[in-house]
Amino acid sequence: MSDTEPTLPADPQAYVEQVMAEIADEVRLRRASGDLPPKLERELDELFLAHSPVAGRGGDLGEALRMVDAATFIDPVVPVESERAAGAVVKKGMRSLLLWYVGWITHQMSQSSSAVSRALHIVDDRLGDLERQVEVQRIPGAKVVEFPALHRPDAWWVEPAVAAVAKAPGRVLHAACGDGWLVRRIDAAGGDAYGVDPRAHLVDAAELGILDLRGEGVAEHLRAVAAAGLGGVVLTGIVDGMGGGERTQLLTAIATRLAPGGALVVHSVSRDAWEAAGAPPEADLSPGRPLRADTWCRLLGDSGYEAVAQPGPGGEDFLVTAVRSSITTPYPPSER
Amino acid sequence: MAVHQFIPALNPHDATGTHTLKLRDALRAAGWRSEIFAEAIHDDLASQAYKHWMYPEHAAEGDVAIYQFTTSSAVAGYLAEQGLPLILDFHDFTAPEYFAGWEPRSVQRAAAAGEELALLAPQAVLGMAKSPFSERQLRRAGCRRTVVVPVLADYGRVTGAPDRRVAAELAALGERGGADILFVGRIVPSKAQHDLVKALWAYRRLYDARARLHLVGGTSSFEYAKALQGYVDDLGLAAAVRITGEVSDAALAAHFAAADVYLSLSAHEGFGVPLVEAMVAGVPVVTRGAGAVAETVSGAALVLAAADPAYIAAALHRACTDDRLRTALVAAGRRRAAELSGGAAAAPLVDAVAGAVAR
Repeated sequence: MSDTEPTLPADPQAYVEQVMAEIADEVRLRRASGDLPPKLERELDELFLAHSPVAGRGGDLGEALRMVDAATFIDPVVPVESERAAGAVVKKGMRSLLLWYVGWITHQMSQSSSAVSRALHIVDDRLGDLERQVEVQRIPGAKVVEFPALHRPDAWWVEPAVAAVAKAPGRVLHAACGDGWLVRRIDAAGGDAYGVDPRAHLVDAAELGILDLRGEGVAEHLRAVAAAGLGGVVLTGIVDGMGGGERTQLLTAIATRLAPGGALVVHSVSRDAWEAAGAPPEADLSPGRPLRADTWCRLLGDSGYEAVAQPGPGGEDFLVTAVRSSITTPYPPSER
Repeated sequence: MAVHQFIPALNPHDATGTHTLKLRDALRAAGWRSEIFAEAIHDDLASQAYKHWMYPEHAAEGDVAIYQFTTSSAVAGYLAEQGLPLILDFHDFTAPEYFAGWEPRSVQRAAAAGEELALLAPQAVLGMAKSPFSERQLRRAGCRRTVVVPVLADYGRVTGAPDRRVAAELAALGERGGADILFVGRIVPSKAQHDLVKALWAYRRLYDARARLHLVGGTSSFEYAKALQGYVDDLGLAAAVRITGEVSDAALAAHFAAADVYLSLSAHEGFGVPLVEAMVAGVPVVTRGAGAVAETVSGAALVLAAADPAYIAAALHRACTDDRLRTALVAAGRRRAAELSGGAAAAPLVDAVAGAVAR
């Protein structure tokens, strides 16, 4: 601390905003220098999750039942070791005196726990049956569908997409990020971006020390993001083949995680390109088909965005840029 | 005529307990008869309140009920049956999703609180919220008339005489060097103390290897508290993170006096009394802007969009080392705290109650 009394800024609000901007610059520099590698941040999260109870890690019922079984028996014979010589004698005496009472209570508790455990095993068996039946009728999640001619750094839509999120009010998520080329472009334009891609092998091969890329599904990732925790989201190659339910879930999750004023950018191919003979095989394997640009604008407009579509020069693709204009209640009941 | 208050649990050293007692005094000073009825009453306050089912012994024509809505309680159903003109004094409650995977009982209780709010809000003649954030929640629940009023807190407790033993202990730690980062609040998932630990880890790695984190407050989520302790141990921070449990007012004052910065990364706050206490105590505040936090600090803190450890570490570094920023934050904090804790803080509540009673 300096000896001289610091002067108060003339406009405190502007001063705090300036400090926040400087902090954002500092973070970008730190990340670029590799002082806090993104991989390390992920490991910190995973370390905490390892301590959370079973349900907090996604609900492995089998593991939970094993824990219930292990905890079902309550031992009424308490340990009597003591650091003091007389302590063990006193404890042993108390144990002998109270064992008839404690034993009676613990016997009932053990019986009660055993009954609960048996009921849970029955539930587990029936759930297993149900899961097998549901699996037969399951609609698979959409795969990432990338068209080599359209998903490339020199494509027409890259500049407008980067411009839409470079000044976003917070971190920018790109999905599906692949090896992170768009993340790098957004960072270079002054944004603070990171990427998510369910194709973990692509992420593993990327420059993970420099770029913050995560090999996980975008819906799974968004569940772990705080409400209003993102300034921007760029979706490329992941919405085209989604079915209606999956798309609605994704857009709902994004709406709650985007800060007011945040931008959502969607790059999608046209139906002609999707149906063309040269389309990637993943297009055929996807449960849905691409929406038209006007439909995207209508969909996002109804969800509180101001959306604008920009068609690609060859009619094969389009870009929708949307700004979140209203606040959505975080975590609607359907997500609880 | 009487304006009585009902509350799920009346506890000392508790924000809603203090608020309820102060409001009772203000209502009496304004000329109303006023008693407190609660489902649970702490032994220390046994002479200050009655059990809620004892209300009929005190009932009179024209009674008005104020319900201090804090959590799920049998009092909600009881009040719904009484048919009294009802004022909801809403303190917000933590939504069930924050407990999911941690405390099944808390999930049920929070869900029940939501149902009780939906039951009472449409019946209320007035809803009093502690922040515009909470006011929106009241309106969504069906409250037709709402107003934002201050929390009647005992902010002076953080500038009172500090506990000597605790102050000496903290001073000894301070002599080792490194920043002292403080958070005050129950150890529960919604307060996200694990994010505070993560931020400390990043801050120590990037800026100040001797920094310490002081987590002051009891817990009602033992699974979360156990996980937090395990996380602290795994990160090798056992000597750098002090988890104090509940403390006396004097010990709390000692912690605020020793703190270099107050850091809150709560995922949900309906108001955030400790944020105001930090501003009263002249401690710069760095906080995540969740829930009503941004409204409570109103520009007098560094407000971050998310609990990103790199951002938080950088913000802590500025708040701890930039004298100009510290001076600006402390001055702005004191101004904001004065707005929220002025001597006439009870007046808007009494006026709001009078307005509702008159209709």
